[in-house]
Amino acid sequence: MTHTPGLYAVIRSEWIKFRSVRSTVIGTVIMFVLTIGIGLLIGFAVKGHLQSMTPVERATLDPIQLAMGGILFAQFAVGVIGALLITSEYTSTSIRTTLSAVPNRLRLVSAKAIVLALVIFIVGEIASFVAYFDGAAIFHGTIAALPSLSQGKTLQAVFLSGLYLTLMGLFGFGLGLILRQSAGSISTYTSLLLIIPILVFLLPSSWQNNITKFEPSVLGQAMRSTTGVLRGGTPVFGTWTATAILASYCVAAVGAGIILMSRRDA
Amino acid sequence: MISVEHITKRFNDTTAVDDLSFEVKPGVITGFLGPNGSGKSTTMRIILGLDRPTKGRALINGKSYHSLSAPLREVGALLEAKAVHPGRSARNHLLALAVSNGIPASRVDEVLNFVGLESVAKKRAGDFSLGMSQRLGIAGALLGDPPVLLFDEPVNGLDPEGIRWIREFFRKLADEGRTVLVSSHLMSEMAVTADQIIVIGRGKFITSGSVDDLTKNAAGTVIVRSTNNGELTKALANTSATVSEINDEGLRVSGLAAAAIGDLAFATGIALHELTPERASLEEVFMELTHDSVEYSQTAKEAN
Repeated sequence: MTHTPGLYAVIRSEWIKFRSVRSTVIGTVIMFVLTIGIGLLIGFAVKGHLQSMTPVERATLDPIQLAMGGILFAQFAVGVIGALLITSEYTSTSIRTTLSAVPNRLRLVSAKAIVLALVIFIVGEIASFVAYFDGAAIFHGTIAALPSLSQGKTLQAVFLSGLYLTLMGLFGFGLGLILRQSAGSISTYTSLLLIIPILVFLLPSSWQNNITKFEPSVLGQAMRSTTGVLRGGTPVFGTWTATAILASYCVAAVGAGIILMSRRDA
Repeated sequence: MISVEHITKRFNDTTAVDDLSFEVKPGVITGFLGPNGSGKSTTMRIILGLDRPTKGRALINGKSYHSLSAPLREVGALLEAKAVHPGRSARNHLLALAVSNGIPASRVDEVLNFVGLESVAKKRAGDFSLGMSQRLGIAGALLGDPPVLLFDEPVNGLDPEGIRWIREFFRKLADEGRTVLVSSHLMSEMAVTADQIIVIGRGKFITSGSVDDLTKNAAGTVIVRSTNNGELTKALANTSATVSEINDEGLRVSGLAAAAIGDLAFATGIALHELTPERASLEEVFMELTHDSVEYSQTAKEAN
């Protein structure tokens, strides 16, 4: 017992914590099931109605977005997993036990973020590729046939679907760090995804496009886009710009959380 | 060794800890005593680096808690028994703590056996009774075999057998040369548990010393009734005694033993009707010491 434990020891400790609690494990399973299951449901529902699309819709059709429709649901699951990872420590006051074992706040938050990101990334990528192959099978031979992974931006779009879930999980984690309450963090996360678009809809249309582009779920669609426009023609950021903007949200939220954590009493 | 150096902690407009300084030495059990809300827990949280003091600092063997690279191997603490994720098993809770500080997993089973929780190690900590949670907290404090240990109100929720067990356990830790700080709001508990006592009230240092010293200093009042209270008071004025109360019932004398008062009365030719030594219990000493601070807090509450 002479060596000094570092970040790796804390990562192992946080991994034990992640897998030994029901909520995080169930959340991860739900995220996996939603990504694949909703993708299948959308696939079967949309398949029969492809002919009724308007010419504009047809022109801007991005079949990958259809196959990845489950991400729109799974993004709520990852936000909840991320937020609960830290808020459950505050609501149970186990944060005091945790911080007395690991007083270095930056190291603790980094270890939690790394475990969270790795789990969501691995499960999210698997789910995204399964959803892609399901979609490819469903839409085979239709006007919404999915391009093969080697064509254009297909592989990138599928890969970024898993990365999007990872970033959204980190964003939820950042909100949890800042707010410290499960209910508050989850409702804030949900509001940002659902309420902001409604509020933006009330604004003059000239503003709408400029603001909409920055919404997390729209950034996600931009990351998954192979065409550069959304269905209906709404312009979005380029793939990597969108990824960078979403990543900056995560850095801002988690960064603010770390600063607050080192200033506040536990 | 724990050194608390001029710690002040303010929450908005209330001062929880007010320029508090003390040292906790190894090899003895030190009781940390004060009424509820006197700042004991806040002080302990500051020692553990959980709360930031407004002023001052706390050091453990000369180092601040934040600078400890494997704190569980240097300080073990039981703050709140329920500071555990309710959904995690006792074993996984301890395992995660152990791994974060580079403590081998075999030690987890050792401490679980020691506190007698091995049979429920795989049960969710949220289903534990308060007594079981206390034992789990103690297991966590012992994980790193630390030389310094802090326990905040450890006897809460323990049954009489558990209380006896924990007293013997503290004694063993101190005998092994460890630094042991145990907080309580019960003087009677500290009287049988601790060697040294630090008393605080309203976040301020009141007194410290050995249990014997504290009772000796405040003890020894004698109720005296005689045929001539006035003469006796005069006679007592020439001795080390202090007469604190004079009424029809008699005198309350401190600073002179009952036998000496009796001799004095005989020598002065005053017949005594009553001579009752009143040895203050430790509890009374404590009540007296913290009286002002408690009263103040109650008036303050009423004023709000």
